[in-house]
Amino acid sequence: MRPFLSTACAASALALTMLTAACGAGVGSTAPGDGQAAPVSKAPELGAGEKVSIVFESYNFGQAGAWTDTFNELIGAFHKAHPDITVTAQKPQGNSANPATDTISSLQSQMSVGKPPDVVQLGFSDLDFTVNQLKALPLDDLVGKDVVQKNFDGAKYPFAERARTLGDWNGKTYGVPFVFSTPMLYFNSALFEQAGLDPAKPPATWAEVAEAAKAIKEKTGKDGAYVDCLTKAAKDWCFQALVRSNGGRVISEDRTKLTFAEPQVTEVVTAMQAMVKDGAMPNRTQMQAVEAFARGDLGMILESSALQGTFAKGAGEKWKLGAAAMPGFEGKPAVPTNSGAALFVFAKEPAKQRAAWELITFLTSEQAYTTIATKIGYLPLRTGLVDDPAALKPWADANPYLKPNLEQLARMEPWVSMPGPNYLQIRDGMMEAVESAVFQGADPASTLTAKQGELAKLLPGGRG
Amino acid sequence: MDETAPVGERGGIARRAGGHIMLGLLGLLCVFPIYWLYATSLRAPQDVYELSVLPWPLSLDSYADAMAKNDVAGMLLNTAIVAVLSALGQLLIGLLAAYAFAAWRFPLQRPLYLLFVGTWLVPFQATMLPNYALLGQLGLLETLAGVIIPTLCSTLGVLLLREHLMSFPKELLDAARMDGRSAWGILWTVVVPTLRPVLAALGILLAITAWNEYFWPAMVLQRSNAVIQLGLRSFMGTEGNDWGPLMATAGLACLPVFALYLFLQRHIVNAFVRSGLK
Repeated sequence: MRPFLSTACAASALALTMLTAACGAGVGSTAPGDGQAAPVSKAPELGAGEKVSIVFESYNFGQAGAWTDTFNELIGAFHKAHPDITVTAQKPQGNSANPATDTISSLQSQMSVGKPPDVVQLGFSDLDFTVNQLKALPLDDLVGKDVVQKNFDGAKYPFAERARTLGDWNGKTYGVPFVFSTPMLYFNSALFEQAGLDPAKPPATWAEVAEAAKAIKEKTGKDGAYVDCLTKAAKDWCFQALVRSNGGRVISEDRTKLTFAEPQVTEVVTAMQAMVKDGAMPNRTQMQAVEAFARGDLGMILESSALQGTFAKGAGEKWKLGAAAMPGFEGKPAVPTNSGAALFVFAKEPAKQRAAWELITFLTSEQAYTTIATKIGYLPLRTGLVDDPAALKPWADANPYLKPNLEQLARMEPWVSMPGPNYLQIRDGMMEAVESAVFQGADPASTLTAKQGELAKLLPGGRG
Repeated sequence: MDETAPVGERGGIARRAGGHIMLGLLGLLCVFPIYWLYATSLRAPQDVYELSVLPWPLSLDSYADAMAKNDVAGMLLNTAIVAVLSALGQLLIGLLAAYAFAAWRFPLQRPLYLLFVGTWLVPFQATMLPNYALLGQLGLLETLAGVIIPTLCSTLGVLLLREHLMSFPKELLDAARMDGRSAWGILWTVVVPTLRPVLAALGILLAITAWNEYFWPAMVLQRSNAVIQLGLRSFMGTEGNDWGPLMATAGLACLPVFALYLFLQRHIVNAFVRSGLK
């Protein structure tokens, strides 16, 4: 029995290894691309009465309440405007608590059975992978550059200038930026007052944040400030903002070399570590900090404006929420980045490709942004809408936190995605090093240098 | 000796009391997360982040919110259908396979049985994609049938029932055969009535497992949240978690399992003991 069982075990283990190896050799193993893919032929306009059905995958359908309801409403409105196009909406498949983290694996598994969704909402951190590995279709080829630009110009209100090119790769538009947020400094006005600080003058530099945080800690006993950009769970979007604000970069401009061990970056990590060591920043996880702030037990938090609704709900009548632009480093301008997602086309047939473009045009129209902003609270990328009394002016006037957020839109820089098929290991590895320095007291310079050397091997071609 | 006895007894009592206190504390530790779940679900929406142990004032708003945002009753019904059909299917297939392995002799019996055992060693994640592709070809994605069918054959069921059938007196089977009963007749009139406690225990265990299943439905049902475990996830997202309705839905998802436990406590404990699982 025993020898037979162990043989069976060994055979099963072997079979398993082969199976998992086969799973690993999926879509991602295509040759590393450089964005110079062969042009895709133009998708002709749909003929009169031509029936098409397409699938739209968005993580917004994974969330009950305003998200699903608003998107269903938009799809309904699209049906009315385009009765010949049927849209089936779906959320990414997968088992993560946050459906937004399942987008790429979901797309890959559907591609592996030859049925990718036609339109997909994907994050900017995945841009390189989306274009070069997953082969999202270049919209400039599909419908023509002039048509893509015309959509950005809009019927009345154009896209914010900096938002127009966020889904571009090598001069071609692959994704139409759809929803996003910028990092904001949210604060608890009640704790500010108790600590003798003026909520009308929130801190504008990190030195002021540290000082105010210490005052809050000393006078109220509550925690001071948390920067939700320094852990693996936070990903690297607003860490990049901190680094850019100090004149550094996490990767060179030509994207061939990791640069997160350069002095400008280690200075940022050292400054954040000092806040933890001085007791100005609590040593907490992302989730703990968000909840402590919503509960009123934390003075300030640098957080995505997407969480504003959670904070406003937590504050209720108990304490007053304040919001300010992201602070900068002494004498240098703050450089916010954006988190969020764009809409990409993966449809295979020309008719579906054209229908996919029609859906994207609709979802990024003035009408759709008005619905999305008022019902979900996302930033309208057609910023002019907030000055139009017939569109978003009443909503903007009732939303005191919108102004600093919109101002940041004008001077933000893109969230740079890491290159190659190992982009997630590179991004997560970098953030692990940052986390261990800031929250576990490791030496910033040596930790970042060691990690950079290790991760450089994962760049395409193993470049250092 | 007489003098030392009471001291020993006292020591015994103290030890026993210590043991009970320890067990009590461990019990509290186990129950506390469940208590916290219900406490959070009963807080008023604006108090959801409060850390007070006793929620006050009590509010059912989170339950109303959960019901308004999701079809919770429909989800519970769907989950019950999946759990019952999946458990019944596994019992039936397990019973037939175990009967064949235990009561019959046929070529390659042992290697075939070991192959069955071997499938237990292959993690679900390895078979997930082939199963998904097959369901896609059969057109069963996005259906409850797609959730149920790939779970129908359970190695645990075959293994457990075979072990029980192996200890089943062969004389009884021989006697029934001499009475002229068919193999099918023997299974249903002799074997099944004797195995009833085992089948009940295993059925409960399988139903609870299917009720709690999350990973596979999340793969198959991409366009709806038809089962309750997926409904739970719909309160988590990029914009933070909606703890009130999340906890309310989780509380409701636990109720049928608690009810089952309350009424069939003996069978459930039995099931865990028999399967060697904890």
